[in-house]
Amino acid sequence: MTSNGASEALDQERLPVELARRVEQFLFREAQLLDERRFEEWLALFCEDASYEAPLRITRERQVDSELSPTGRIFWDSKQTLGVRVQRLCSDFAWAEQPPSRTRHFVTNVRTWRADGVIQARCNLLVYRNRGEDPRADLYSADRMDELVEEGDDFRIRRRILVVDQANLTGNSLSVLL
Amino acid sequence: MRGAELTSVEEVLDRVRKELAEGRLPVEIFNSPAVFAAEQERLFRRAWLFLAHDSEIPEPGDYVLRNLAGNSVIVVRDEQGTVRCLLNMCRHRGNQVCKAAMGNASHFRCSYHGWTYANDGRLIGVPHIRTVYDGRLRRSDWNLLEVRTDSYQGLVFGCLDPGAPDLEEYLGGFQFYLDIYLRPGPGGTEVYAPPNQWVTETDWKICAENFAGDGYHTPVAHQFGFQLGYYASSASTHSQGYAVHFPHRGHGIGLGRTPGMTPFFGYPDEVVQGMAEALSPAQLELFKETRTAVSTVFPNLSLLIQPFSATPGEPGVRFCTMRLWQPIGVGRMQMLSWCLVPKDAPEAYKAEAYRAYTLAFGHGGMFEQDDFDNWSRVTAMAGNPAAQELSFPYLMGLDREPIADFPGPGVAVTPYMTETNFRNMWQTWLEYLERP
Repeated sequence: MTSNGASEALDQERLPVELARRVEQFLFREAQLLDERRFEEWLALFCEDASYEAPLRITRERQVDSELSPTGRIFWDSKQTLGVRVQRLCSDFAWAEQPPSRTRHFVTNVRTWRADGVIQARCNLLVYRNRGEDPRADLYSADRMDELVEEGDDFRIRRRILVVDQANLTGNSLSVLL
Repeated sequence: MRGAELTSVEEVLDRVRKELAEGRLPVEIFNSPAVFAAEQERLFRRAWLFLAHDSEIPEPGDYVLRNLAGNSVIVVRDEQGTVRCLLNMCRHRGNQVCKAAMGNASHFRCSYHGWTYANDGRLIGVPHIRTVYDGRLRRSDWNLLEVRTDSYQGLVFGCLDPGAPDLEEYLGGFQFYLDIYLRPGPGGTEVYAPPNQWVTETDWKICAENFAGDGYHTPVAHQFGFQLGYYASSASTHSQGYAVHFPHRGHGIGLGRTPGMTPFFGYPDEVVQGMAEALSPAQLELFKETRTAVSTVFPNLSLLIQPFSATPGEPGVRFCTMRLWQPIGVGRMQMLSWCLVPKDAPEAYKAEAYRAYTLAFGHGGMFEQDDFDNWSRVTAMAGNPAAQELSFPYLMGLDREPIADFPGPGVAVTPYMTETNFRNMWQTWLEYLERP
C-alpha cells in the first residue's frame, strides 16, 4: 500500500499496448459522458456489484504512513446509491445542479496493469467545475484507481477509489461526480 | 439605498430590536462587514463554542487542531487524561507549534527557535536557557496560552470569556434534548471518522437557523426526496411535531413526528435497548415517535438525526450528523461535519449509518447539496444594495401559546413548522451583540 492506499503500478505486469490503449480510450469516453451529463449511460459502465469510494484526506505529520482516514469517506457508494444520485440529477429537483455545473474531466498519466487477473487503471484526474456567471472555478485534483472487468471488447468498472489532493475542499455544493 | 460598508452595527441592532418584536428581521445581518466584526467580538468571544468530540482524542497525547473564534487551537488529551485547549502559538516568536490536523504527541516543539512544550501546555524546553537568558526567563511565565474548556456527554466546548457561566448553565436544560443524539446507550457516542471539511460562501447564521428546526423548507428544498419516493407526502410527514426553545439561551430543536410509526425505527435492537437504559421515561416517551430531530446549540453547533435508505421507500437507517458552522469572513464559512454513532452499537450498523450520512449529509450528500446551493444564494443576495433596507418575515407561530403539559423542559409549541425557535435564536443573538 502506498500513501494513497493503492497498489503501485510501476512494478506490475503491464498490459499489452493495444489493450492499454483501449483502457485509456474507455476512461476518456467515461469522462466525456460525465461532462455531457449523460449520467444514465455513465452509470451503465459500472458492474452491478461496483463500489465507488473517496476516502477522506487528513493533514498528518510526515511520519504517519497515510494521510487517508481508514473510516472517513466523502463518497461511499454502491451502484445502487450511484443510481439514486443519477436519478436525482435527472429529476427536475436537483437544485444544486440548476443551472447545471459545467465540468471538464482531464484524465492523464494513465497507468495500466493486471493484478490477480484484474485490469487496474490508475490516473491523475483534474476536474474543472464552473457554475452560472461565477468567473471562479472549483478544481478537484485526484489520484484515481479503477478496477476494470473486460466485457467483450469493452470494460466495466468494478471498483473506483479516488483521493482528492485536498483536505479542506471548496465548492458551495459538491454536486458533481468525479 | 444605503451601502452596507457605511452602516454601523448599532444602527443594524436598532433595526433588529424594533423589527424582531413585530416578527421581522433585517436582511442585511446575513452579509454585513459590521455585523461580522461585532459577532466576532461580542458573541464568539463570549459564548461556549464546540471544539471536538472526546472520541477524536481517546488516548493521552491525542490531539486535533481546531479553530476557536478565529484562533488556531490544539485540543489535546494530556498525559493525565485531561482535555486541554491550547493556543497553537509559540510564546517566543509566535510560530505554530502544531501543523497537522490530528495526531499524537507528547510534546510540541517549535520549529523556529526550538521552544518545547509538554502536551499540557507547560514550557519545558528552552535552548541555551542558561547561557543566553542569564536567569531572567522563568519558564512557567511562558506556557502555551490555555483556554477554558468544559464538556457534556463527550462534546468538548471552549470559551474565551473567563466570566461566562459554566457549560451546564449555558446549556440551561437543553441537555434533555441533546441526549437523543448523545445518549443512544450507556456508552454514549463516538465519531465514525474525522470531519468532512469545506469552505463555502455562506453566512453561518442561515445554517444555524435552519437547523434550529426549519421543517418548512424540507418538502421544497429537498423535493427530490419526495420525487424519488423517500417520503410519502409532505403533509403527513413534515407538518407534525414540536419546536422547543430556551429563552435567553438561543438553543432550539425541531422534533418531526410520524404518529403511529414503529418506535425508534431505523435503529438496531441493541441501540433501542441502550436508549431504554440511558434515557429517562419522559425522554423515551417523547423521542419514540420522533422521526427527525434537528437542533442548534447556540450559536453554531447543530445536530440532526433522521432515517435514510440506500433504496428510496425502504425504512432505512438512522444516522446522526453533527456540524459546526464557523464564520471565517463576511458571508464566508468553514464547514466541519461529523457522523456520530452509538458507541455500543454493532459495527455493521455504524458503517451503514455512516454510508447513509455520506449519501444524505456529507459534503457530497444529496440534502447537503440542496441546502448549500440555496444558502450561498441567500448570502449573496443579502449583500445586494437593494436588500439593505428590506426585511424577512418571522411571523409563523407568533400567536401560538406554548404547550402547557409538555414532557420536556423549555418552551414547546406545535406544529414543527414554525418560526418560534428562530425568533428566540435571534433574540439571544441580539442580547449578545447589544452588550458592548
